[in-house]
Amino acid sequence: MIAPEENPSIGTRLRMEGISKSFGGVTALREVDFELGPGQIHGLVGENGAGKSTLMKIIAGVHTIYQGRMLVEGKEVRFGSARDALDAGIGMVHQELSVVPYLTVAENVYLGKQPTRMGMIDWKTMEKGASEQLRNLGIDVNPRTIMGDLPIGLQQLIELARVLFSGARIVILDEPTSALSPPEVRKLFEVLEGVRKSGRSVIFISHFLDDILSVSDVVTVFRNGRRIVTERKANIDKTWVIEQMIGKGHEDIEESYTGAITLSSEPTGTTVLAVRDLAFGRAFSEVSFEARAGEVLGIYGFMGCGQIELSRVLFGKLAPNAGVLTASGANLRLKNTAAARRAGIALVPESRRSMLFYQEPVFKNISISSLGRIAKLWLKPRIEKWIAEEQTKDLNIRPPNVANLLGNLSGGNQQKVALAKWLTYRPRVLILSEPTRGMDVGAKDDVVKIVRKLRDEGMAVIVISAEPETVLALADRILVMKKGRIVHEFANETISKDGLLEVA
Amino acid sequence: MTMPAQPSLRKPAMRRRAFLRSQMRNIAPFVTLIALVAFFWVASPSFATMDNVANILTQISVAGIMAVGLTFVILCAEIDLSFAAIANAAGIVVAYFTTQASYVNVHNIPLPGGVAIVLAILASAVLGLVNAFGLTVIGLPSFIMTLAMMQIAAGICALLVRGQIVYAVPDLVKELGAGSIGGVPWIVIVLAAFLLVGHIVLTYTRFGRYVYMVGGNREAAEYSGVNVNRVLAAVLVISAVCAGVAGMLGVAHFGSAQQNEFDGYLLDAIAAVVVGGTSLFGGRGGIGNTIIGLFVLGVLNNGLDHVQIDSFLKILIRGLILLAALIINVYAQNLRSGSVQEAD
Repeated sequence: MIAPEENPSIGTRLRMEGISKSFGGVTALREVDFELGPGQIHGLVGENGAGKSTLMKIIAGVHTIYQGRMLVEGKEVRFGSARDALDAGIGMVHQELSVVPYLTVAENVYLGKQPTRMGMIDWKTMEKGASEQLRNLGIDVNPRTIMGDLPIGLQQLIELARVLFSGARIVILDEPTSALSPPEVRKLFEVLEGVRKSGRSVIFISHFLDDILSVSDVVTVFRNGRRIVTERKANIDKTWVIEQMIGKGHEDIEESYTGAITLSSEPTGTTVLAVRDLAFGRAFSEVSFEARAGEVLGIYGFMGCGQIELSRVLFGKLAPNAGVLTASGANLRLKNTAAARRAGIALVPESRRSMLFYQEPVFKNISISSLGRIAKLWLKPRIEKWIAEEQTKDLNIRPPNVANLLGNLSGGNQQKVALAKWLTYRPRVLILSEPTRGMDVGAKDDVVKIVRKLRDEGMAVIVISAEPETVLALADRILVMKKGRIVHEFANETISKDGLLEVA
Repeated sequence: MTMPAQPSLRKPAMRRRAFLRSQMRNIAPFVTLIALVAFFWVASPSFATMDNVANILTQISVAGIMAVGLTFVILCAEIDLSFAAIANAAGIVVAYFTTQASYVNVHNIPLPGGVAIVLAILASAVLGLVNAFGLTVIGLPSFIMTLAMMQIAAGICALLVRGQIVYAVPDLVKELGAGSIGGVPWIVIVLAAFLLVGHIVLTYTRFGRYVYMVGGNREAAEYSGVNVNRVLAAVLVISAVCAGVAGMLGVAHFGSAQQNEFDGYLLDAIAAVVVGGTSLFGGRGGIGNTIIGLFVLGVLNNGLDHVQIDSFLKILIRGLILLAALIINVYAQNLRSGSVQEAD
């Protein structure tokens, strides 16, 4: 912990003392102390479920029931809502952006407090003000642009601007870089530098340790709901941070994500899914490839290159405009997702929210896709629970009680439940969209192991991701997508992240 | 990652509180019912008699049979506004195909009773299928589709009876709607059978699980490979068929079939399902809740007739009490959802 006396000139902007919090019966935070100075960028790292998001939601007034004390500028506060927190100068930019895509940039910046003249919105003042605000942060964008037309990175910066503009002296950024391309990340860091210089404080949560280490002044590591250590950036490096997060040395994982990878696909596997000249709207066209049994096919491309739509078409959620899908020689016409499931095709979408039932117990979440096999007419809850317990053991889902409501599990464990659903069904083709997004190193390692095991058992796995590390860590063969087309295939060669980024 | 099990819930008192909170949806309507019964018991000597209990049961039967089907629809986070009109149509169809007395001025087509019953059920199923088609194939919101169907079904009724009243229904329908066995009205037995079957289907079958999952998170159900459209289509047909049966028995029960006969049941059945604690947002509730809701409504309607109030004021009072019950219901549900926050 950095003692405040090291910086006698500046006091403490935010101080948390002995914070504890539990959900249902699951303890998320135990006796956590935390301190944030003015003009400080404070990096927060930890595995999924380590408690960092929970602490941030307490600070931002989202979670209002907890034990412990919270002091802002030396005054004890207790927020009843996110509104209270904002009034006290604390703003949060969530991982899922909360901008209004149909409104202009200016309207988004001024959301909820548009300047008026004689009861009408004063567009001129608003546009000029927004433009100035954004330029102060080094963001150059026409304030009349419709928000949804901008790239995601810019939208995020504009949301950040809105939070700062609303008077926040403490800004919490939850995984701000996970959806951004490298140039967008650099831009964000420039903006944050400006924010720091203006004396405001930033809490920066991320799984990307490089990002954390390049922008933070101070780094705090969480593990199992406790604050493990807080240290100045100058004194630490990535390996040390990973050790603190996991609690043991993990050089082997680190290696597989950064070094050069030798792809070795085995063309011996039979083709289980073939795609010919597939097209969908403006998202993608002329997409052709084959997925083979016992092989992990990686599809890499920047956000918005059409890979998300491709995954939906393969799973029968969207109907293609053109092209042919064949599975084991027979043409497939996927009317809906149920037809895809019957054809042996499964998808785990990038957002776990869209495939989980938060108010239902874990075992119902796991059994839902395989219900037709477990039970024809009458449900067999005992078998469902037994299957779920096996999956819980295999995937190390915590807590292991399958009757627990899914909503009481941590994010990483929820993601494992999403995977368990299809592992129970055993499809022939498993499509994983962003399988490791928002995951910590340890959980990513688990995913790698699971995917390799499935491949070795003869499943065809398709991994779709905008993170080069994810594709490199998992794939035996890599297709690169760019603006709706497949532009390159890597097979039986040695490539690195740079090589991948070069063609994308 | 590791989250050791529940140190904060070790105390039994806390665990009991958490359990009570999670059951608020079911407890609140029950408390409302008990409060209503207690009030009318004290307020009127004629309320708490065996005869009156039988009365209440009979009075809720028609709405109850409709409410069984509606429960399926609301559990899927959809709504059916056409069931009362479909009930009306089924009642008129069954009478239309039955020999009427000579003074009835309707150009009907007499058929054997069994055929008339099958045609009436078929008619309601077809109307339910049209609802399903509009919702799942065309993509209309159920609110709009069933609103249109309400008119269509009313139109069918109007064309068949042309403002007249018909009386005769097949013997089987007459017996089930108006007869009784060992002092128990058949219609109450039919209601009990529908409630029981509805409960079993929702709780113990695969289809019932799909209904809850589709209602709980439709997108997740789709991404889990559930044929969501088929489930939605099925619940709308179930609702229409339940309404059809209710309509036929209702005609026998009241002794005649005419235009707009069941309009009042639209509100009654929806209110019964929702007051009972089934969420309009889907995925929560069930037949158990609907039973409580039916009794709340039945006791309220019946009890107000046993106390001395201006009969025109009663309508307003009924509305206010329903509103209060709904507010309690929503409040109880908020309490519950507050206890499940997403941990991250």
